[in-house]
Amino acid sequence: MSGATSILVDNSALSKIDRSLHRLEEFFALIGGIAVFSLMFLAVVSVTGRHFFNSPLPGYVDWIEQAMPLIAFIGIAYCQRLGGHIRMDILIGRLKGRPLWLAEVVSCVVMLILMMLMVWGSYAHFERSFDFASPMWSRDSTLDIRLPIWPAKLLAPLAFSVLCLRLVLQIWGYGAALIRGTNDPVAVPMIEDASTVAAREAETVSGFDDDEKGSNK
Amino acid sequence: MSSIDIGIAVTIILLIMVMIGMRVAFAAALAGLIGLVWIFWAKKGMAGDQFFWALTVAVKTAGQVPHSKISSQALSLIPTFILIGYLAYYAGLTKALFEAAKRWVGWLPGGLAVSTVFATAGFAAVSGASVATSAVFARVAIPEMLAVGYDKRFAAGVVAAAGTLASLIPPSAILVIYAIIVEQDVGALLLAGFLPGAFSAVIYGGLVIGLAMTFKNFGPPVGGFTWVQRFKSLPGAFPIFFVIAIIIFFVYNPFGGDAWGTPTEGGALGAFVVFLMALYRGMRWKELKSALLETAKLSVMIFTIIWGVLIYVRFLGFADLPGAFSEWIGSLEQSPMLTLIIILLAYAVLGMFMDAIGMLLLTLPVVYPAVMALNGGLDVSAADSAFGMSGVGCAIWFGIIVVKMAELCLITPPIGLNCFVVAGVRPDITVQQVFKGATPFFIADALTIAGLIAWPGIVLYLPELLLGKS
Repeated sequence: MSGATSILVDNSALSKIDRSLHRLEEFFALIGGIAVFSLMFLAVVSVTGRHFFNSPLPGYVDWIEQAMPLIAFIGIAYCQRLGGHIRMDILIGRLKGRPLWLAEVVSCVVMLILMMLMVWGSYAHFERSFDFASPMWSRDSTLDIRLPIWPAKLLAPLAFSVLCLRLVLQIWGYGAALIRGTNDPVAVPMIEDASTVAAREAETVSGFDDDEKGSNK
Repeated sequence: MSSIDIGIAVTIILLIMVMIGMRVAFAAALAGLIGLVWIFWAKKGMAGDQFFWALTVAVKTAGQVPHSKISSQALSLIPTFILIGYLAYYAGLTKALFEAAKRWVGWLPGGLAVSTVFATAGFAAVSGASVATSAVFARVAIPEMLAVGYDKRFAAGVVAAAGTLASLIPPSAILVIYAIIVEQDVGALLLAGFLPGAFSAVIYGGLVIGLAMTFKNFGPPVGGFTWVQRFKSLPGAFPIFFVIAIIIFFVYNPFGGDAWGTPTEGGALGAFVVFLMALYRGMRWKELKSALLETAKLSVMIFTIIWGVLIYVRFLGFADLPGAFSEWIGSLEQSPMLTLIIILLAYAVLGMFMDAIGMLLLTLPVVYPAVMALNGGLDVSAADSAFGMSGVGCAIWFGIIVVKMAELCLITPPIGLNCFVVAGVRPDITVQQVFKGATPFFIADALTIAGLIAWPGIVLYLPELLLGKS
């Protein structure tokens, strides 16, 4: 199963667009991470409020439900850029060069069609709850403290649209590799075998504790 | 074509897409969408002018799934547990745990390996990631074991195998995912994992001692720690016990009162303590940012599979494939237990090629109802059931066994990732040597699974206390 990979860069237009889009994706992903972090504080406030001050946090569950789409959707393109969405790569991992790039192009085109349909479907879902004439522009609201739900619903088509952009770039990247027949295309994640994945996994968890590093030598 | 035929056809399309390497989440969503279009269109007699209507209805049906299924309180446990895991690296828990374990049990035969088992089990539980845990302990524990003359394969095998203990001991993200897919109580499943997880750790420990006593050069003991040194080593390891304990107390209060809160709150409090510990150990914005990005990435990956699979599940509901499959399984002329074992063996084979989360999410929508039907249905009483447990009990029991099964595949060839990780960290040890070293643990795990099947009480004792109260 493939995880994150390092992405090659150069001076081409493709690579520049890739890095600009990546800045947006990383910003979005960071918002998702901060949302997880906020949930942690929210729970601390909720529990201390209830146990020690006898005043539970109003709308605790409402806020969690509002934060979930933020966590679940907004980093979807970031994850795709880094090749983080899991797949079974025992077959495709055996391909090399042009056949591999062809398979990747096909897979990205299929995903792009799917995600454009999902943008449509999830936008329709948002539209049903959004209404300029209603209070807070909203036809529905959360149970406890009546937060409008449409902003959370809008996150899905928004995040899916960014993923569509990313997929277009990846089709471009794999497509260019297919035409040129290169072995190291820019701006796209590449399949790694288990030992490479393992080596990188080992690297991500090292580096913080210097003592641990030293003991390996 | 009947709707069941469409269900089978679309499922085959899904399997082909997954096999040829399409990303699992999107393959499932696409299969679900194709299925919905097909089934709506078939209702209109496949008339050419009705295709666009079928597509619109299908897309709008699928488009509701991501938001409506993801906005749940129980699901928020998944990113919280993941965050705990990434923060745990910065909290300096690994060395502290290993040091504490070494001082307490190092004097046993194979003492360092026993320490590794317990330290790894504890850390893996909190970090939730078997693979990363193996990487960390390969760096912390293997050098110490080799320094006192341990067998190389043995040392590497212990680390690779002990990482697999992660999935059952709370907090466990994969058990949360299971609970949500099969619509069972999340707290009950988290609680159910505790005893089997601890049981597995004890079996590993016993196995290590046995091996060290049988083979002379496997693992000499290390001793000479005073009681003062032992107690001094505990505070550094404290957050681990705190996280595990608080999640249990927030699900079930063993002192008889109400639980202290919800699992969601317990998980978040655990994360908070680990966060404070990491701050104390020198984590700053740079490290926190990378932990948050990793958390976001892994959470999105899991949630994308969840909503993708749920679109497929929505379609399965229309096609009634799970019902048909359950009926077929139920009509087989063999004992339900044999059927169950065949299903579990199929998981073992599948797990050799697929990631545990992807595998469970893809298969459970069809397999779980069939297993429930084997036992006699969701509402069956223990007395009338095939496996001697109530419907809810069977749901929990099957979940624990399947998750244990999936973890087992992390130490089997050809892609037992834990073994590759250990070999990757230690260039002087080959993958084959690690697989060899992990073999006794693989056998022990197979026996543990047999034990859990034979004595479901190990799984069900704690959750029954919880469910019996409500």
